[in-house]
Amino acid sequence: MADPRLAWMDRAHPLPHEMGVDEEEVERRKAFLEFGEDDVDVLRGLRELARKYADPVIEEFYGHILAFDETKSFFRDPKVLARVKELQKDYFVRLTEGDYGKSYVANRLKVGAAHEQVRLEPKWYLGMYSYYLRLVAKRMQESLTNDPAKAFANFLSLMKLVFLDIGLAVDTYIFARESTMRKQQEAIRELSTPVLQIRERLLLLPIIGVIDTHRARLITDSLLRSIRDNRAKVVVMDVTGVATIDSKVANHLIQTVIAAGLMGASVIVTGLSSDVAQALVGLGLDLHKLNTVGDLQGGIEEAERLLGYRVERLEPSRSPPRD
Amino acid sequence: MPLTETRVPIEDEEDIVTARQKGRQLAAARGLSLTEQTLIATAISEVARNIVVYAHRGEVVLSAVEEQGRRGVMVVARDEGPGIPNPTLAMRDGFSTGNSLGMGLPGAKRLMDEFELSSTVGKGTTVTMKKWVR
Amino acid sequence: MPVVTVPILKQGDVLIASMQEALSDHALIEFRDRLSDQVGRARARVVIIDVTALDVLDSFATRTLRSIAYTAQLRGARTVVVGIQPEVAFAMVQLGLTLESVETALDLEEGLALVGAIAGSGGHAAH
Repeated sequence: MADPRLAWMDRAHPLPHEMGVDEEEVERRKAFLEFGEDDVDVLRGLRELARKYADPVIEEFYGHILAFDETKSFFRDPKVLARVKELQKDYFVRLTEGDYGKSYVANRLKVGAAHEQVRLEPKWYLGMYSYYLRLVAKRMQESLTNDPAKAFANFLSLMKLVFLDIGLAVDTYIFARESTMRKQQEAIRELSTPVLQIRERLLLLPIIGVIDTHRARLITDSLLRSIRDNRAKVVVMDVTGVATIDSKVANHLIQTVIAAGLMGASVIVTGLSSDVAQALVGLGLDLHKLNTVGDLQGGIEEAERLLGYRVERLEPSRSPPRD
Repeated sequence: MPLTETRVPIEDEEDIVTARQKGRQLAAARGLSLTEQTLIATAISEVARNIVVYAHRGEVVLSAVEEQGRRGVMVVARDEGPGIPNPTLAMRDGFSTGNSLGMGLPGAKRLMDEFELSSTVGKGTTVTMKKWVR
Repeated sequence: MPVVTVPILKQGDVLIASMQEALSDHALIEFRDRLSDQVGRARARVVIIDVTALDVLDSFATRTLRSIAYTAQLRGARTVVVGIQPEVAFAMVQLGLTLESVETALDLEEGLALVGAIAGSGGHAAH
């Protein structure tokens, strides 16, 4: 299908297998739609008719699209409009070519993705399908006035195929949205591994949220760099905000502690409740490598002690002057 | 789909260092971070050492790869040595590299994104590892 | 092929060995043997091994460092490994390598402070 006009579609579009739409999956969808060989024959039989009405249908189709502000905006440039009309015609023609295999599916996915990329919302996209079906239904009716039952049956076959297309198109929208979400989550994770220097040679690492392997590595990496850059001797790692501490997470924490140790830094773990600690020990984890202190304040005080600080209040606290 | 490829013959322990230095260079060229470069170099060191210790000779093939828009590095360490009689056992964590036991394979797997071990007793071993730019 | 040797300096009763670049297994063993010999001769109290310049510490290198520490201990000396870089520490931990009872410090300065050779706040003593 090396159609040069369609080359613009080949920009990094999701492959069927990336989306999990392989041949087996497509067969299941066809089975569910009850789209079979008879339907393929019917559609092939409509080929001549389809080619005959391709141009007038396209004109009517775009007439409708351009009549609405929301959809008109996509086709402001007349060159774009001309090119898109060609591609759309090609799309419609393929509906009756009779080949609904791998390359057909790949093509449909590409087209769906292209529409998603230009931000054409599903409501208009699906509305366009509806309009097209009605245009075709009218023409089928006209071409078989003496056999309305057959016209109807033909229409039903086309409808099955169009619903297969719609399913694929909707999948590309969902896939694109999920990819974006994944990227955003990734970005959030990277942003949320702060390491703070709270005193000379003392770092505070507050860990909040869910710790999976990837995030644990980011945290460790970030901490180790900070230890070097700040010449830290002690790290207070607070896990109060960690959602769930199971044995996997505990192992990540232990690894972080060991790595920091290789760089000469001690780690005090705060915020590990005794319940959780007991549960972990029960699971067979050796926690004695961890220097744990119940709460953050206690941990910081311990850290200061280790660094040779002694904190003393100079005189009874005075309330700040009132304004 | 491998792009450029570098073969490093592994015959003695000096080659271990060569292999990992070239591995690091390739990783850097591919845009992998310093940490990732170190992970690759370390993994190469482990598998190349296995070749020297168990098979005495073999090769490490380093190549730039690209799959589904992702860029990466592929390391293939192969030898025609005695092979690993029980690959599942060799891959089991607990075969730590800390001791003198074990071949460091589970560790190398942790360092990389993809890891495949294929071995036939009497014929040889091939370890294929990949790391991708995040 | 000339074997790269690691220079070993003596500062009072402290031996300082700076590993400059990746050593082959052979050279590591040579270094270990020479170092342990010097520990005995110099009646050193402390051995500091600076690995700042090493970009990889794999299982063999780690085992060798532990073995050096063990030998030094037999001769009455403490061993402190200094200068493990963040990326190297990260890789070691991923690989499951530990220096177990070997002491570590951030760099040479910290290492010397740890053993009391210079004033300072010390490093990370082994558990």
